[in-house]
Amino acid sequence: MADMEIALDIQHLKKYFGGIKAVDGCTFQVPRGQISGLIGPNGSGKTTTFNLLTGVLEADSGEVIYNGENIVGLKPYEIFNRGISRTFQITRIYREMTVFENMLSASSMKMPVREARERAEQLMEFVTLTKLRGEYGGNLSYGQQKLLEFARALMTDPDLILLDEPAAGVNRTLLNNLLDHIHHLQEEQGKTILIVEHDMNVIMNHCEKVFVLDYGVKIAEGLPEDIQTNEDVIEAYFGHR
Amino acid sequence: MQEKAEIRSKYWLAVFLVAAYTIPFAVGIYTENVFFDLQWLADLTTVILNGIMQGGVYAMFAVGLTLIFGVMRIINVAHGELVMLGAYLTWMFFFYVGVDPLLALFITLPIAFVIGLLIQKLLLNAVVGGPELTPLLITFGMGLTIIHIVEAIFTTDYRTIPYAPDAFQLTETIAVSRSKIISFVMAAFISITVFIFLKIHRIGKAIRATAQNADVAMVCGINIFHIYMITSGLAAALAVAGGALVSIQFGFNPETGVLYTLQAFAIIVLGGRGHYIGALIGGVMLAVIESLISFMIPNGTAMVEIASYGMMVFVLLIRPRGLMGPKEN
Repeated sequence: MADMEIALDIQHLKKYFGGIKAVDGCTFQVPRGQISGLIGPNGSGKTTTFNLLTGVLEADSGEVIYNGENIVGLKPYEIFNRGISRTFQITRIYREMTVFENMLSASSMKMPVREARERAEQLMEFVTLTKLRGEYGGNLSYGQQKLLEFARALMTDPDLILLDEPAAGVNRTLLNNLLDHIHHLQEEQGKTILIVEHDMNVIMNHCEKVFVLDYGVKIAEGLPEDIQTNEDVIEAYFGHR
Repeated sequence: MQEKAEIRSKYWLAVFLVAAYTIPFAVGIYTENVFFDLQWLADLTTVILNGIMQGGVYAMFAVGLTLIFGVMRIINVAHGELVMLGAYLTWMFFFYVGVDPLLALFITLPIAFVIGLLIQKLLLNAVVGGPELTPLLITFGMGLTIIHIVEAIFTTDYRTIPYAPDAFQLTETIAVSRSKIISFVMAAFISITVFIFLKIHRIGKAIRATAQNADVAMVCGINIFHIYMITSGLAAALAVAGGALVSIQFGFNPETGVLYTLQAFAIIVLGGRGHYIGALIGGVMLAVIESLISFMIPNGTAMVEIASYGMMVFVLLIRPRGLMGPKEN
């Protein structure tokens, strides 16, 4: 893969929790301007990898190169300000702040207030939450919270968006809506999107490239159709046949 | 099940508060301090009004404590000492420089803000998010250090600032001390300003976001360490402002900070830890009950501390989240 095509270069990333090897020398390159999927059985280290990429956890060793810079060791807000944004497996919105305040909370201090407000309005419209702008986050349905978290992640117009299980707990209609938004971001704005997801329909139908983790190690990568027939992946999910 | 427990705790808190406000009347009737004539009712009104005025000031400095707790989960037991420090700063500017205590706020508040920043930077940043005991002990040590430094400089003598000592006659029989009215207006102004700042200003929103979830705030681009420093600065400024406003009403010495810490804790326990409006309501409620006790119970002035201790202990037992605090996990 040529350098220009790589959005995120992950090299030998490690994170141990005591004796548990959550991420164990993981290496892969996320292609720029594409929707990629990160899959693996429960406990394979997907969310830990996301936490390492966004600085929520500090890696024991390894490198994450983003725009030519190793971002390992940076604080989450420093990584965010470099253009990497994320959502969480279980939504983490500010329950005691309104939808609009949730949106503004993710605007960079450097962004002029007027611009931040306009951007928040546009994104709320994008995810059809405009009518709920004054509603407290805690009063939204789970699906609406997912949309809000997704929109909040876009506030600073990030180049790389990490989505942790966007389909979890979301009904089919809302999920299709969310996937439309994700495709719009990739196709119209050239964003790079990395999705952790258990829903194989989402991964197989919407990702251009898939990475598979097992026991904190990348065991496969490739096109969705190749991953479906990969022996190592089948073994990781179902054991020996 | 949880909802039932929540409703039950609410009722018990209501019962406790009704009982707490009834006890001074009951004791007053028993000790024949309650007369139910016009003069007594006028005196009672005066006492309640004074309590409300006083409560505004209590609430303001308690808000500082609740902010620190809400944002960093740190129990700052030196908060009262910062209130006391505010009283001494005001006293110094009044006696040595001749600055009006209210005008002195323009100098003392920026000084307090910087003190708060330094406390955060040098002492608390290293322990935020760690075991709760560590910051508790650090602030305890800091409080004692402040007391001893102030004692070394000013001795343990009580100081007072003679300021607007006359009373404002609302009616022929109801009067409120002018210094209390001034203090209340200033406290209300400062509290409302801080509230609007937290509600509207971008940094205020970042403070609230950090209070709700510091991890999420960080991945949303908020430098929480800056927010911690601003919060500590703001809390110190509120404490020092409180000190300035109590200094024009009461005498003070280096030990009085301990009582203010206790009052601030009682207020945030009653109002709900980390809850701004709760702290304001709690402040007024505590001051009113203190006033009722000192008015109706013989030797009541000496017993007002019981109101703070008692309220804190019982509310923690009955409903740990207080009136408006978040649900306990």
